[in-house]
Amino acid sequence: MSWEFVLQQFGAQFGLWWVIVPAILLGIVVGILPGFSPQNTLIMLLPLTLAVPVEQAMAFMIALYCANHLAGGIPAILVKIPGSGGAAATTLDGYPMTQKGQAQQALVLCFTASVFGGLITSLATIALLPWLSQIGLYLRSVEMVVVMLFGLTLIAVIAGKDTLKALIAGFFGLLIGVIGTDHIYNTPRATFGFLELYDGVPLVPALIGLFAISEALVMIEEKMIVDESGRARALAARWSDTLEGLRLSVEKWWHIVWTSFVGLFIGLTPGAGASIAAFVAYQQSRLWSKHPERYGTGVPEGVIAPEAANNGVTSGTLVPTLALGVPGGSTAAVMMIVLQYHGMVMGPRLFATNPGVAYGVFISMAVAYIFMLFTILPLARYMSRVVLIETTYLAPIIVLVTIVAAFGERQYLFDMSLALVFGVIGYIAHKTNYHVTAILIGILLGPIFEQYLVRALRISQGDLTVLFSSTLGNILWAFLVLSLVLPLWRNYAQGREAGEKQERARR
Amino acid sequence: MKNPLGADLVIPALALGFAVYFFVSIAELAWEAKANGVVIGGVLVALIAVQLVRTAIGLVRRRGTLSFEPLWAPREALGKRVGMVAITVLFIVTLKWLGLTLGLLAALFAALWIMGARGKALLILPIAVSTAAYLLFVVLLNSNIPHGPIERLFS
Repeated sequence: MSWEFVLQQFGAQFGLWWVIVPAILLGIVVGILPGFSPQNTLIMLLPLTLAVPVEQAMAFMIALYCANHLAGGIPAILVKIPGSGGAAATTLDGYPMTQKGQAQQALVLCFTASVFGGLITSLATIALLPWLSQIGLYLRSVEMVVVMLFGLTLIAVIAGKDTLKALIAGFFGLLIGVIGTDHIYNTPRATFGFLELYDGVPLVPALIGLFAISEALVMIEEKMIVDESGRARALAARWSDTLEGLRLSVEKWWHIVWTSFVGLFIGLTPGAGASIAAFVAYQQSRLWSKHPERYGTGVPEGVIAPEAANNGVTSGTLVPTLALGVPGGSTAAVMMIVLQYHGMVMGPRLFATNPGVAYGVFISMAVAYIFMLFTILPLARYMSRVVLIETTYLAPIIVLVTIVAAFGERQYLFDMSLALVFGVIGYIAHKTNYHVTAILIGILLGPIFEQYLVRALRISQGDLTVLFSSTLGNILWAFLVLSLVLPLWRNYAQGREAGEKQERARR
Repeated sequence: MKNPLGADLVIPALALGFAVYFFVSIAELAWEAKANGVVIGGVLVALIAVQLVRTAIGLVRRRGTLSFEPLWAPREALGKRVGMVAITVLFIVTLKWLGLTLGLLAALFAALWIMGARGKALLILPIAVSTAAYLLFVVLLNSNIPHGPIERLFS
């Protein structure tokens, strides 16, 4: 692959602006609404994508997919309702920024982290594709068990003052995540007799209930979601706040880079998705921060890490799809259908027989992210005005519209009732300081963790030492232990330092 | 004011109830099907036990009461909150007959009224939102959401 070829492809993709811009706008609308996944939208639009030339179809699907990943963070920041699982971690610091009257800055951070996270990783993928396609082969069940544990340790990390409550919430979520048929024999477990739960607890109703409905039931108590000073700041919002967001993004550029690579590497593994990447990146960001205690109160890094990671996943997901013919996720599977319909044979040969399509996918992604920056960034100022709507109007609309959205993914009325049940659980958890995010992490990661664990144990015929049988796995274990020990050691060191300071002051 | 420890026990009580049901439902299954659940459920039960002990100590030392006040507080919002949940339940139950558009229109009108909205917004918002939902779910996406009199009228 020569530079001339790459530049020629970039030129061709920029020429498809008339396909990319509408796809971005559609992706943003779909991404903002919880319950509307990119794969469902792409399935509905299959008659369109199958009818047009493959380059245009891919440019459309890629732009929609990337915009969808970006837009999930918008409601997460403004009203604490993640548009998708990948944006759930964004609520941890995005919403507190909104409550402080910094919604515009938070949105700009979300957009720049998403765009540059996606752009950097797609460019890296173009340059390193032959090597990156091999990584998925090394990350097997054993290694993925440890990657999942990285995400699960976030339960303890976000605990705040009450670790016990966070752990109860997290393990409650994990147990809820085990509902459904098991991965080996397909026997139902704790489904309460509902056939609708045989596939496990659906993510969208859980997300809507735990975040949207519970938050709406709590916001009823106040006239607005922001306090008086936050309202004054939101009313006085100007373009300078967008510039302030951009300044913060430039200041934290390295944070965007490394957390987007966390997303890329997790995305390379078939089955692992944006939600895992976002939680792992948030956990790592907090771990390496000089001020981890500030996370959860509205720090820019807490928005950057999950957003850069969940957009880093986009290119990672497509690597196994194109290079190995194994779809990295459900959206990638839909894209694969379109490519195969147009006669493309997935696998290493695709890069030799059809380099225009194979590399074009990632170049198209880079171009989509460039267009996205100019499409969405100016909207941050106007989007941030949502916080000025009184809860009298906001709460009923959130509850009823998101209940309808719960129907969207699987088209079961049951999911609407399930969302309400999760809403009530989330409300109780919220009012009694059991972290709803900890419950969600359990529900999200629990089933995937079980899938990898059982697969690893099945291969080893129940021998637990298989979890320590690979070099890469052991390196990951060492990092995991380091992740757990480092905060404890840092707390101890800070405590000792504070004690010494007090001692010196007394003398 | 003493800590209202009763409210802190609601989530553990729900979790414990679910864990017991979970253990019963997996009792007869092969080890692969229950290993993960047994470990998670076991740890959950242990954590709940610690929380119960912590609550008991708080009660014995008179640091808290068995009050559930945080769940109801503030009392002036309780009616709105219960009303909102009741309207949502009614909306889901009647969706089969009323369909999306009419059901959402009625539910949103009732919810906004309970929340204290009056005047033009009480009419404009339900009409705008239900029209948007109709266009998105029925016209654009052609989803399987139940159709009612309005959907049938325009089909």
